Amino acid sequence: MKVTNLTKEGCDASRLEMGRTKGWLLAAAAAGTLSACVQVSAPDRPIVINLNINIRQEVIVRLQDDARRLIENNPGVF
Amino acid sequence: MRKSIYLAAGIAAALLGAGAAMAMQDAAQLRASGVAAEKADGYLAATPRASGPQRDQVSAINIQRRQLYTSLAGQRGATIEEVAAATACQTFASRIAPGQQYVLEDGVVRTRNGNEPVPLPAHCR
Repeated sequence: MKVTNLTKEGCDASRLEMGRTKGWLLAAAAAGTLSACVQVSAPDRPIVINLNINIRQEVIVRLQDDARRLIENNPGVF
Repeated sequence: MRKSIYLAAGIAAALLGAGAAMAMQDAAQLRASGVAAEKADGYLAATPRASGPQRDQVSAINIQRRQLYTSLAGQRGATIEEVAAATACQTFASRIAPGQQYVLEDGVVRTRNGNEPVPLPAHCR
């Protein structure tokens, strides 16, 4: 999943890519003025979370004590 | 001939000194430096401000974690992903100090604000 930084920039309505029907609405609304809009920029590297949807909830619960011990026994790794 | 030996020795000493200055950091130190964030899947992510060597260290820690997860998974009849996800629940609950960063399933990097509790990944309920 991409991590996004939202930055607000004033930008011209004509720079927005919108469908024709939306376009004239926006142009009418923002005629002659700068409309504030957001510019989304993605970082160089997305942060990837790997979570198999098949993880079993009861197994997660059962493993909690072992997981806690794992962390306690390996402090430098966690 | 002697000059080049001294030159080589001097360069080697300088490199060793530089290496010692950049000591290997463990997971807690990497989080504290702001160059690593805990992920909901049980692994560490390097944040954009991490240097190359720091990214390497994050990778090395993740490899160690996977080895530990694999070993426990074999003992408990669970998948590696389940062990990793289960450990993330504990790591999120106990290892993320104030000011340190974490990443939930939405991929957004968040910072623990003071002592506010860290939200646990959804699979931890």
